[in-house]
Amino acid sequence: MNPNEFDVIIIGGGITGAGTQRDCAMRGLRTLLVDRSDIATGATGRNHGLLHSGARYAVNDAESGAECIQENLILRKIASHCIDPSDGLFITLPEDDLGYQATFVEACRASGISAEIIDPDLARRLEPSVNPEIIGAVRVPDASVDPFRLCAANMLDAKLHGGQVRLHTEVTGLIKEENTVKGIHTRSRLSGEEKDFFAPVVVNASGVWGEQICNMAGTRLTMFPAKGALLIFAHRVNNMVINRCRKPANADILVPGDTVCIIGTTSSRIPLEECLNVAVTPEEVNLLITEGARLAPSLLSTRILRAYAGVRPLVSEDNDPSGRNISRGIVCLDHETRDGIKGFVTISGGKLTTYRLMAEMATDVVCRKLGVEKACETAVKALPGSEEGSYEEVARKIWENPSTSQKAAASRMGSRVSRINSDDRRDEALICECEEVSVGEVNAAIDRMEVNSLTDLRRRTRVGMGTCQGEFCACRAAGLLAKAHGCVERERKDVASFLQERWKGNFPIGWGDTLREAEYTQWVYKNVLGL
Amino acid sequence: MRFDTVILGGGLTGLVAGIRLQKAGKETAIVSSGQNALHFFSGSFESFGEPTRELADLFSEAGIHLHYQEGVRLMPMGTFRPSALSLEDISLFPNPKFGNKVLLVNIVGYHDFFSSFLAQGLEEAGMSVRIRFLNLMEMGIKTPGEMRSVQLARALDRNWEKVVQEVRLLLKDDDTIILPQVFGLEDASIPGRIRQSLPAQVVFAGTLPPSVPGIRTLHLLKHRYEVLGGTYLMGDEVVQAHLHEGVVHSVVTKNLGQHYLEAENFILCTGSFFSKGLASTPEKVYEPIFGADVSFLPDRSSWYNPSFAEKQPYIGFGVCTDECLKVLKEGAPLSNLYAAGSILGATHPELGMGAGMCLRSALKAADSILEL
Repeated sequence: MNPNEFDVIIIGGGITGAGTQRDCAMRGLRTLLVDRSDIATGATGRNHGLLHSGARYAVNDAESGAECIQENLILRKIASHCIDPSDGLFITLPEDDLGYQATFVEACRASGISAEIIDPDLARRLEPSVNPEIIGAVRVPDASVDPFRLCAANMLDAKLHGGQVRLHTEVTGLIKEENTVKGIHTRSRLSGEEKDFFAPVVVNASGVWGEQICNMAGTRLTMFPAKGALLIFAHRVNNMVINRCRKPANADILVPGDTVCIIGTTSSRIPLEECLNVAVTPEEVNLLITEGARLAPSLLSTRILRAYAGVRPLVSEDNDPSGRNISRGIVCLDHETRDGIKGFVTISGGKLTTYRLMAEMATDVVCRKLGVEKACETAVKALPGSEEGSYEEVARKIWENPSTSQKAAASRMGSRVSRINSDDRRDEALICECEEVSVGEVNAAIDRMEVNSLTDLRRRTRVGMGTCQGEFCACRAAGLLAKAHGCVERERKDVASFLQERWKGNFPIGWGDTLREAEYTQWVYKNVLGL
Repeated sequence: MRFDTVILGGGLTGLVAGIRLQKAGKETAIVSSGQNALHFFSGSFESFGEPTRELADLFSEAGIHLHYQEGVRLMPMGTFRPSALSLEDISLFPNPKFGNKVLLVNIVGYHDFFSSFLAQGLEEAGMSVRIRFLNLMEMGIKTPGEMRSVQLARALDRNWEKVVQEVRLLLKDDDTIILPQVFGLEDASIPGRIRQSLPAQVVFAGTLPPSVPGIRTLHLLKHRYEVLGGTYLMGDEVVQAHLHEGVVHSVVTKNLGQHYLEAENFILCTGSFFSKGLASTPEKVYEPIFGADVSFLPDRSSWYNPSFAEKQPYIGFGVCTDECLKVLKEGAPLSNLYAAGSILGATHPELGMGAGMCLRSALKAADSILEL
């Protein structure tokens, strides 16, 4: 067998691509996944981290609502180590129409989403950070999800099922014979190496870049890139997801996640060229703070850690290049039936919450094309790390008296945490103090999870995601990476680009404590360390 | 409580000004909130030229020995930086190639000293480098749970001779030995004794903060200030000031409450943003205690350069003063309030920058008060 030949090639290392690779691999296919960058660098890693109950969509898009609740319940089982089952509130404020609540609850129930109207007093007790002015509250099964962990777990499971992953590998063209896609031309962005890979089916799971990949295939897909800006706060002020009970609008969801919370989002169409480098504007920051404080007033006095923006890969409906008929639902296109192009499938649209369903739909098309009849098992088989109970149980199985950092590692790695258990006490030394990430965990990620840079490491371990945003842990981790990769010069540049990436998220909110930290970082790196 | 001068801020600037005034027979108090920039001190007083006799004496009487030589010093990331006046720990070289064969000694389990970055920088400068690790546990030295500079320094202050023995065993024909700057936290003589005990040039290279030589400098200056009769109010901060017709009468601190601190003169050296001497909101940069005039750009988007590596305009913002460093409020100088140290930002380019600027402005403010 030629090592460059596969049954299916998946373009895109976001959650949709990773999920599709896992599903294909579990059905026995030989898979290759390529991404021009790292895992979860697009929309997957740039959202709220909200596992929708579907309630947000129930009124306007019952189908999406039903898909969300179905997947929400599945993911709680198969991806338990990536999910914090926090529950959510839909609150009505004095300026909102309380009459909408009844419509909302009815629509939720019609989509199968449990929605319980609770007394505002109870809501204030359940979630002390909520705006005390609330005049109504509905409890729904929203949750938080760590998209990086979820994406990495999918990719890891694909690899455990024989899948191959090539990150930092750009697709430069599709290999086509007449009307059949036969493979991809690629170029490594690390080594510059050019390589061709072949497969009877290529899946386009490249999110907002789906339009370009379709162009390469000789067909047309009109994306409607919609930018959404978000703010991360340095403390977790809320324990439950807080939503506004009204028609979806700007900055009306506050999601707790690990040690932080995230307010978002805005929505504005941007040109495709800007998608690689989206900046958050001062107007967006102001709007997010003002509206966010209506959900939880304490946000006004909470330090903002970072501003960032993602781009939703929305798809314009066929034959409507104006983008007026946008589908927020799942778009799964078999280009053979749509445009007469064989061996080419596009999966786009949808949501983080429905990634598994999207993967199943795409994989069904792939299997039909390949004549494979094995049924999908991703809804019942747990992801690596989620096979055993809670992280506290997992930690207790491994360590007699787990320390907080061992518990933190178990919460990130789930049952796979046993792999970092070594007899060497030195592995317990902390690299990142904010997130309690040890030398052992960093080394485990470097060894097994394709870490090329500090930013890659951050996505896999949370090193540098905490309150100090990588003040010192960046340097410590760079030392370990330099050792692992044997290249010091590369690591020195890596530290510089890590700091630049961090600054990009800081200066839009550069006042108060953020400015203090920024000044300190300037001082330490330029004058003390001499970067 | 009444003093001749009350100093707000107990870092390098406040202590140098305080010692200067105490030596001149004034009665002073320093209000210090705790940590200050000396905890991150690189060891070099950048932008300061040759010290006057008076300044050298001020430090040496405190047990701090400075040396002056124009040259470069080795930075923790393996780069070199022009430096002159420095603590004795800091080696200054005429050019980056300061040796031929270098033995670079790190400690097993210590992640805050970047031996691989250093080695790369030294090799680029034309030296050959061997990196070796000391295992403190095997050497019978009880190691701290988390190895950070200060914890290590505490353990090594009692065991530095064992380190010297071990380094001697590692030494071959190397002409230079590099050690992390984790020696002499309490006892300032240790770095010098290590140098005397080894038959090669010994260079101490910086670690991640906190800075061991910086904390030692802080302790020695504070001790000297107190020996001279100064009152160092540790863990307190000024929350309010009483002003009348352009004169500061007293300040209120968190701990002393109703017992105001009154004085003839006041020095404001509460540091820049990080130390909270300057504060900011989305709209403005301000000085929180006196409401002093601050020089800053009104449009927030011009506070920053989007490139981290470039010079950041906000770092130049600072409290406005007249040429004697008297603080301006609503455009007019307050008659008995002086500003010094990094709260000045880049408003006085003639005073230099960094720790050098702190020294110059501290002396200048003290001299203004003494009417020298």
